[in-house]
Amino acid sequence: MAAPFLEVKHVSKSYFEAGKEFKVLETVGFELAERDFVCIVGPSGCGKSTLLRIIVGLDTPTAGSVRFEGKPLVPENPQVAMVFQSFALFPWLTVEQNVELGLEARHDPPERRHAQARKFIDAVGLAGFENAFPRELSGGMKQRVGIARALAVEPLLLCMDEPFSSLDALTAQSLRDEILQLWSTPDLPPKAVLMVTHSIEEAVYMADRVIVLSNRPGRVVAELEIDLPRPRNRKEPEFFGWVDEIYSLIV
Amino acid sequence: MVARKRLRWVGLVLIALGVSFAIAFPDSARQAATLPLLASFSLGRMAAAYLLALVFAIAYGTTMALSKRAAVVMLPLLDVLQSVPILGFFPAALVFFVATFQGHPAGLEIAVIFLIFTSMAWNMAFGVYESITTIPKDLEDAARVFALGDWLRFRRLVFPAMVPKLVYNSMLSWSNGWFFLVASEIFTAFGATYARPGLGAFIADRGDAGDVAGILIGVGVLAAVVLTLDALIWRPLSIWSERFRIDTTGTGQPVPRVSGVYERLAWLPRFTRLRQWLGSRVRPLMERYSRLATRFDRATSAHRQVMRAIRWIDLGMFLAIFVVVVGSGLAGLSTLLLKPLPAAAYTIPEATLRSFSRLALAYAVSLAWTIPAAVVIARNPRASRVLTPVIEVSASIPATALLPLILGFAIAIAPSQGTGTELAAFLIALFAMQWYLLFNLIAGVRAIPGDLDEAARAFGLRGLAYWRRLLVPAMIPSLLTGSITAWGAGWNALVVSEYIRFGGVRPYTVTGLGSLIDIATFDVPDSEVLLLSILTMVLVVLAMNKLLWRPLFKRAIKRYRLEG
Ligand SMILES: Nc1ncnc2c1ncn2[C@@H]1O[C@H](COP(=O)(O)OP(=O)(O)OP(=O)(O)O)[C@@H](O)[C@H]1O
Ligand SMILES: [Mg+2]
Repeated sequence: MAAPFLEVKHVSKSYFEAGKEFKVLETVGFELAERDFVCIVGPSGCGKSTLLRIIVGLDTPTAGSVRFEGKPLVPENPQVAMVFQSFALFPWLTVEQNVELGLEARHDPPERRHAQARKFIDAVGLAGFENAFPRELSGGMKQRVGIARALAVEPLLLCMDEPFSSLDALTAQSLRDEILQLWSTPDLPPKAVLMVTHSIEEAVYMADRVIVLSNRPGRVVAELEIDLPRPRNRKEPEFFGWVDEIYSLIV
Repeated sequence: MVARKRLRWVGLVLIALGVSFAIAFPDSARQAATLPLLASFSLGRMAAAYLLALVFAIAYGTTMALSKRAAVVMLPLLDVLQSVPILGFFPAALVFFVATFQGHPAGLEIAVIFLIFTSMAWNMAFGVYESITTIPKDLEDAARVFALGDWLRFRRLVFPAMVPKLVYNSMLSWSNGWFFLVASEIFTAFGATYARPGLGAFIADRGDAGDVAGILIGVGVLAAVVLTLDALIWRPLSIWSERFRIDTTGTGQPVPRVSGVYERLAWLPRFTRLRQWLGSRVRPLMERYSRLATRFDRATSAHRQVMRAIRWIDLGMFLAIFVVVVGSGLAGLSTLLLKPLPAAAYTIPEATLRSFSRLALAYAVSLAWTIPAAVVIARNPRASRVLTPVIEVSASIPATALLPLILGFAIAIAPSQGTGTELAAFLIALFAMQWYLLFNLIAGVRAIPGDLDEAARAFGLRGLAYWRRLLVPAMIPSLLTGSITAWGAGWNALVVSEYIRFGGVRPYTVTGLGSLIDIATFDVPDSEVLLLSILTMVLVVLAMNKLLWRPLFKRAIKRYRLEG
């Protein structure tokens, strides 16, 4: 049997403050296959961001391990990219330079970088804004840059931490559809998406599978296959059924 | 076109004035002809010192910000260095360099550059440190997720983050630097005068000769150099640095482009063509740089060990310097304390008090005129248009360059030489202090958000209440920032203001810490008194910073910060 695409195994995380242990995550485990779209939901402060940071290598777990394609995850793994809630764009770089960041880190020659950056700037609908600075863009456009920057390195796994929570409702909805569109286009990255959200509706709307975390310390309470056909309709009773079920798991 | 025609007229008038001046005062004219060369010497010294300071500031600030362990020693050291009135060491350092090089001009040149460096480096290093430690965490995370190597991380994250503070502090450093340049190009010790050709030496020399026209020309050229640099380099740089400001709130605001600043200068003859020509030269260079940088990134990430080694060497160097400095300081102190105090040491308390009162008076006078002036300039567009150029020109002249004029003026109007010297010392302190207050205050008033002002007016706040409720609170943080800088400049000015040597005659002195330092260096060499005086000055400055300004500043930030 081939190793799973991403394997999170018995991950625990504690902070120590004044000699006292402060548990954030407790033996969290799940797997991700190629072409999966998984959402992690849970109450505020249950350790969702911490879990995602551990998965992309920004944090180390106190116990347990994260394996990517069967190998232990090395920090700064170029096959994993991330979209931040706060966008985390470099204010002094233009849209194009921001998108090129990961390519530059890979030492791609300038021509390759430009071509690649243009491709993904077009893909997120920002053509014509290549030379704008982040400060000159609206929130939705900034997050598009964040998404293009993550996709430009052609990651196998795309991680997103509440990518739409600081956007207005309309912008968020159109970006959700765009992400789904990109994910379902076979010749575009990424292969799998792992997204943290506190909006249950968002999780049901987007994910194949929803992982529900408990109150702190975060444990996996349930893993639910959302078998609704795509594109999903928020007004259907089945949709509400899923939302209600997850809601009752969290409360 | 109209502007160009008017420009031609102004040019013709200036040339006519110059020619008639040359005919009327042939001697001064001959002198003036050498000024461009002298100015370029002075500018060269400034540039050399600045480059050194820049490299130092970036290396020191970065090392300190990246290594917590290093910061434990480097941060307090920098704090002390920044509080030390450099001119206190100035005579001793000059003597040291002159003695080491046995009077060779190279030694003098190094001494001058070194002193300018010490006046430029510390605030810049602090700026670098503060910028790096306040880089938002999400940007750090993004840099790690996208696997930026050391060098790329520096180029794309760390360096850009330090640009705003670096540019701001560079401007401050340059105006400090001019002050020290003028003070250090010429000095007299052991019965000999050592001078390096430059604008500062020229002004001092004309002062000795009592040639008022010569002094004025020298000061004028100096001001012209300072203002030109400001218009062509610092103003565009500070607009460019806006781009590097990290603010998470901004959305949909245009980022200023530098080219706009230069377009405003398009009326200068041939300026536009020159700019285009330069642009066409620079662009291929930038592209080549980008290519080289990519190759360099690849090379450095392949040699991580080397990079790490370099960082350790860097750290080791700073620690070595630190040990030497602190060690020799402690050694000097212990020998000092083991011996009985010299008689002159007992004059230190009185001298300190006198110097302090002189500075306090100058500070009070500065406040008295800068607060209303700042409000008028910041509030009244017409006043601003008329006064800003006048103030900018006056502020561009370092107080040290005005020394001969101020002394001459003070002695002319004072009843006796004693009061004249006292007046001169006060005036020089005033000139060294007031501009920092004025510029900070103007910025403070300008930063009041328009809606706050409108609200205040809508609620009928007028007259005294308007000042009490809006203007004064809004000015307090910038008033404190200005005060810290102004007092620092004041302590520095003591060494030149309390002991003025003019021609071959006896120096004009008043009782004070500054003159104590000068006398102990030049007249009656006494290393103990010298060291004790400097130490006193350092302690007073540190005490004022730690016990007065910092606490006040912290409270002000909490209460009066304008969140917008
Ligand atoms: N560096 C740290 N030191 C100490 N405690 C921390 C640290 N980082 C996070 N925590 C704590 O860990 C807990 C989980 O944080 P985390 O940000 O992962 O929660 P979250 O589920 O993402 O919450 P939210 O929905 O609000 O984003 C919080 O209680 C937080 O206070
Ligand atoms: Mg979170």
